[in-house]
Amino acid sequence: QPVSIVLADSREIASGPEVISCLKTVHKVKVEVCPLGGCDYIVSNRLAVERKSLSDFSSGVNRSKLVERVKNLQNLFERVCLIVEKDRVKPGETSRLFQRTKYYDSTLSALTSAGVQILFSSSQEETAGLLKELMQLEQRKRTAITVPTQVTGNKQHALRFYLSIPDVSYIAALNLCHHFQSVKQMSGSSVDAIAKRAQVSRQKAEEIYRYVHHVFEAEMLQTRH
Amino acid sequence: MLNPTTPVRAGASAVPYGHAIGSEKWRGTELAHLLQGKIRLLFEDGLGLVDFHIANRTCILYISEADIVAGNAFKRRLVQFRKACNLKGIVIVEKTRLSDQYLPPVQTFVVLELGMVLLPVANKSEAAQLLINLVLERSKERTSNPFIGKKSCQFSSTNILSTVQTIPGVGKVTALQLLQHFPSIHQLANASHSQLEAVVGHGTASNVHAFFTRT
Repeated sequence: QPVSIVLADSREIASGPEVISCLKTVHKVKVEVCPLGGCDYIVSNRLAVERKSLSDFSSGVNRSKLVERVKNLQNLFERVCLIVEKDRVKPGETSRLFQRTKYYDSTLSALTSAGVQILFSSSQEETAGLLKELMQLEQRKRTAITVPTQVTGNKQHALRFYLSIPDVSYIAALNLCHHFQSVKQMSGSSVDAIAKRAQVSRQKAEEIYRYVHHVFEAEMLQTRH
Repeated sequence: MLNPTTPVRAGASAVPYGHAIGSEKWRGTELAHLLQGKIRLLFEDGLGLVDFHIANRTCILYISEADIVAGNAFKRRLVQFRKACNLKGIVIVEKTRLSDQYLPPVQTFVVLELGMVLLPVANKSEAAQLLINLVLERSKERTSNPFIGKKSCQFSSTNILSTVQTIPGVGKVTALQLLQHFPSIHQLANASHSQLEAVVGHGTASNVHAFFTRT
């Protein structure tokens, strides 16, 4: 039985404390809190999970934020899953009745059309259960996270370097860190070698390859005013 | 009514935009009534397991409150559908006070085990609204879907400059100097210590060389 690891974004400690503690205590999943930047959870080498409260998700005010976030995740990961979680009811408060709007339906339609997986959860505990099931499914498909998530010494510099490559996810950067002896070795590798060691799709490996071989032109620099 | 030999009507994968093909059993129902006028709904016999066909090879399978409470028959229907064709399946399920408790395992089954889409609705009128949106969404140009689309243009040179700056001891000025002599990360990584030393000082050259070869 391989160790099950889920990466959680540091911000989730504040916004989803029960998700994390439930994963740890009830489901016996190893949760590593990392600065993931753009996403809430990484459950495998290719799947990112974004947790959204129902009120957040169903409000049109947040549309551009949601679009930006999901698109960013799609650039980083092969698969994106969105968990829409019912808001917590504070003691003494009655739960507000959910009003289904046209915005809500059209967002759901657009997301399913774009191939984003959507799951519905009624609480943080249920979200933890869903995360665990997603992780187990990915494990069966042999895409589970297998590298150590702790990076020490010189390797920390390499991790920062890999993370600065556009559209490389935290887990892909970790894989690059652990599966290449040096940054030099990585930069001299073929597309196939990158795909295999970073555990990314061929397309993503090609992007990384192109980036490493891209010729720098000073006049192409974006000037900031 | 379910004929296992023809679980899905052949050829139903091509549905005109703005249309939905509904199973005959929905004729005259409240849901059909709510859909009329908003989208073009045609009825056909022998759709088998499918309730509605919409554009882009997508099928709707409707699970009512009664289906869920009654037991596992609906699961067999979904499995049959999944085995019969490679059309995309969207399962619309009635999530009511009565069926609520059964929903989590149904979601796990539909989404995680069968890899289909599950969208809960509270009643028939919500289902109609959702169906209309699904049909309209699939009739639009793909480019109008904000979640589909090309990546925004890249500023590779800017990115490379910041990537090189992640090397310890290298700031913006040194990074520019280095890139002017070794214009790609690949070339920079393969530069020898003496080649680097000719561009930047001894100390920085050592840092950069050590970074590429030892980390």
